Amino acid sequence: MADNNVSSTPPAENQNPNPNSNDTIDPNNSNETETSIDAIAQKVQDSMTLSKRHKFWETQPVGQFKDSGNPSLPEGPIEPPTPLSEVKQEPYNLPGPYEWITCDMDTKEMCSEVYTLLANNYVEDDENMFRFNYSKDFLQWALRPPGHYRSWHIGVRVKTSKKLVAFITGVPARIRARDTVVSMAEINFLCVHKKLRSKRLAPVMIKEVTRRVHLENIWQAAYTAGVVLPTPISTCQYWHRSLNPKKLIDVGFSRLGARMTMSRTIKLYKLPDSPITPGFRKMELHDVPAVTRLLRGYLKQFVVAPDFDEDDVEHWLLPKEDVVDSFLVESCETHDITDFCSFYTLPSTVIGNQNYSTLKAAYSYYNVSTKTPLLQLMNDALIVAKKKGYDVFNALDVMENEVFLKELKFGPGDGQLQYYLYNYRLNQTLRPSELGLVLL
Amino acid sequence: MSDWQDYTQSILFGLIFSFLLAKLFSIIFSFRDQNLRITRANPNENESYELPEENKSGGGDEDQPLIAGEEDKSEITSDDDDDDDDSDDDWEGVESTELDEAFSAATAFVAATAADRSSQKVSNDLQLQLYGLYKIATEGPCSVPQPSAIKMTARAKWNAWQKLGAMPPEEAMLQYLEIITELYPTWAAGSTSKRRGENADERSSNDTRPMGPVFSSFIHEEESSELKLDAIHAFAREGDTENLIKCVESGIPVDMKGLLHSYNIVIFIYVETFNTIVLYFHYFLQIADSEGRTALHWAVDRGHFETAELLLSRNTDVNLKDNEGQTALHYAAVCERESIAELLVKNSAATDVKDDDGNYPFDLCDSKWPWIQPQVPSFD
Repeated sequence: MADNNVSSTPPAENQNPNPNSNDTIDPNNSNETETSIDAIAQKVQDSMTLSKRHKFWETQPVGQFKDSGNPSLPEGPIEPPTPLSEVKQEPYNLPGPYEWITCDMDTKEMCSEVYTLLANNYVEDDENMFRFNYSKDFLQWALRPPGHYRSWHIGVRVKTSKKLVAFITGVPARIRARDTVVSMAEINFLCVHKKLRSKRLAPVMIKEVTRRVHLENIWQAAYTAGVVLPTPISTCQYWHRSLNPKKLIDVGFSRLGARMTMSRTIKLYKLPDSPITPGFRKMELHDVPAVTRLLRGYLKQFVVAPDFDEDDVEHWLLPKEDVVDSFLVESCETHDITDFCSFYTLPSTVIGNQNYSTLKAAYSYYNVSTKTPLLQLMNDALIVAKKKGYDVFNALDVMENEVFLKELKFGPGDGQLQYYLYNYRLNQTLRPSELGLVLL
Repeated sequence: MSDWQDYTQSILFGLIFSFLLAKLFSIIFSFRDQNLRITRANPNENESYELPEENKSGGGDEDQPLIAGEEDKSEITSDDDDDDDDSDDDWEGVESTELDEAFSAATAFVAATAADRSSQKVSNDLQLQLYGLYKIATEGPCSVPQPSAIKMTARAKWNAWQKLGAMPPEEAMLQYLEIITELYPTWAAGSTSKRRGENADERSSNDTRPMGPVFSSFIHEEESSELKLDAIHAFAREGDTENLIKCVESGIPVDMKGLLHSYNIVIFIYVETFNTIVLYFHYFLQIADSEGRTALHWAVDRGHFETAELLLSRNTDVNLKDNEGQTALHYAAVCERESIAELLVKNSAATDVKDDDGNYPFDLCDSKWPWIQPQVPSFD
C-alpha cells in the first residue's frame, strides 16, 4: 500500500527473524518456556512502545520533560510567532484514500455526521463499558462560541464514500496565565474512527489544526488528555457523586462493597426534593452582566483561567436544555447576584447492558460563592441535578472544589485529567486548586 | 488346489497389507496437512483484512491449500460488523499499516526468541515456512538463482521461498503472524500488535487518542472484610441459590463446617434425627448478621428473586427486622424491587410495620406502589 506515509516503518533491528538463523534455536524445552516467552514478548513490546512514545510531542513547542523545573527558562511563549506568510498554506498530506474537509457545524447534516462518528468512536473507559455520547446540541454549543472559526472544525473523510472518519476541532478562547491574557485555541474532539486507529492519523490531525490556528495568527493552545504527554501544567482528578446509585451499580459505574447494602447506599445518597438556599434560581439572559462580574472577580485568584466577557458568559453559561445548566442565588433583599453554579450535560452510552443504554452525567463547570457557602451551593446543584434525572454528578478537583467533594459524598474516580498548554511555558506545575479552567 | 488357495491367500494378504500401508501413508499425509491447516487458517486472527487483490496461490502450489479464500473472506466480513454497519470498501488498504506493525513486532519477537536458548524448539518445516513467508513479505517473490544441491540448508530455504511464488506480501505477513500466534499464543500479550479485543482498544486509547477528555468512574476498592459476612448471607447476597439449597437441603453439606464455624456455634456433629437437622437449618435462615440482616434481607437487597423465593419456601420469617427496624419489605421498597416486593406481600409480609425512623415500607418507596400502602388508620 502506497499510503503509509504516516505510519512508522518497522525498526531496523527487527529485520533479523530466526528463520535466517535456523541453528540458533536450542532444543532445551524447560518449564520456563512460557514465562520466558512472555518476558521476551514484553521486552520487545516495551522497547517498541518506548522508542516511539513521544516521537511526536518531542518535536512540538511544548514543555519538555527534560526542561521541567528549570527556572532559567522564561515563562511565556516557547516559540515566537512566525510571519503569517511563512505558515504553510496547503494542508498536510493525508494517506491517498482520504481528504480534508471543513465541517460546517451550522448544518444539521454535518452535525449528525460528526455526532455519529463521535458516538461510535470517541472516548471510552478502560474497560470499554461506557463511551461518551456528546449530543448534537452540545456539539453545536461547544464548537460555535463567539468568534469561532469554521476552518478549525476539521474532518477527514474517505474520498470515495465521503464517509467521515476523523475529526478534530479548535475554538478560540482568551486564557489568562498569571498576568497575561493570551489568545488561544482550545483543542478538543480529536477522534479517529476505530478502524483507522494505528494509521497514526492523530499527529497529522494535530499538525493540521495547529496550522489552521496559526493561519488566524494564534500561537498558543490549551488541551487536556488522560495520558501523560510532555508536559502537563496540572494533573487533576475526577470525583463522582452518585445521584442514582442503583442504576450506577447496575451498569457497573460503581460497585457495592461486600458488606454494604443497596438499601443503605440508596439512603446514603438521598437528597432533598428541592434546593435549600433561598433565592436559588435558574440563570436568565438579564443576569449575564451580573454573572460576568461575579465570575471575572472570582477567577482572578487562579493562575490559569479563562478571561470571560459578557458574550462568552452568554454563550457558555446561559442555560441550554440538556447542554448546560446554570443557577444563581439572588439576594432576597438587595436582589444582588451573590452566588453562581453551573454544570454541563455529557451522557455516555452504556455498552452492552440489557437494561440501560445511557448514563446521564452532569459535569461541574464554573461555580462562584460569595455569600452562600460553597458546600451548600453545590448541594443545591446536586439537588437540581438529581431532580432533572441525572445519574451522577462529576467534578474535577480544580478551583475550590476540594472544599465540598468529600463532604458532599463525592468519591474519587479512576480518571485523571492532565491539562496542557501548547507553545506556552509555566515554570512550575500547578496544583489543581490553582487551575480555574474547565475544558469540555 | 491348496497351492492355489495359499497363493490367493498370500495375494489377498499382500493386497490388504499394501492397502493398509497406503492408508497409513495417506493418514500420515493428511494429518500433516491438517496440522498445517490449523497453524495457518485461523480466521479469528485476521478479522479485518481486505486483501488488495484476489488471492493467487503462487504457481498453483499444492502445498499451500490455505491461502485465505472466499470462505475465509465471508467469515472475515461478518466478524467485522460488530458495532456499526460500515461498508468494508471504506477500509481498503487501511489495515496494511497495522499489519506492518504487527508483522515487525512478530519478527522482532521471533528474533528475540531465537536468541533465547531456553525457548521452545520449532520444527524445521515450520522454520522453513516462516523463512519463506518472511522473504515474501520483505523482499517479494523469489528471484535469486537456485543454490547448488550440495548446500542443503540454503537449498531448502530457497525452496521454501520459491514455492510461495507470487504470493502478495500482505498475505505472507498474515500467514507469518498466524503461525507465530499458533506457536506462541501469548507472544503478543500486552503488545501493541494484538489485533483482537481489549488489547486493540487499549492500544488505540493510548496511541491514537493522545488528547481529549477522560471517562472516569468510581475507583473500585478491593475489600478484604468478606470474612466477616456469614456464608449464608454471602450466598443470599450473590443470589447463589445452588449453595443456599445445599445449605438448606442436603443434610450436612460440605460448607456446613465453615458455615457453623462462622457463627461460632459449637455443634454436635452427631445430630441424630432428620428433624433436628431441619430445625437447625430453619434456625440458620433466621440468623442475622451484625447489622441484624437475615439472608432474606440480603437476597431482597441485591434483587435475587429466586433466592428470596427459596428462602420464603423454607418458612423463613418474612417480617424479621434488621437493627434499624426494617423488614425485607422495607428493603424492597427502598431498592425499588417491585417483583420481589409483590412476592413478599404474597407471602404475607406486613405492610404496616414501621422502621426505627417511623417509616412504613410505603413511605420509603419512590414509586409509591399502592399495594404496599399500610392498612392502618391514618392520623394525618
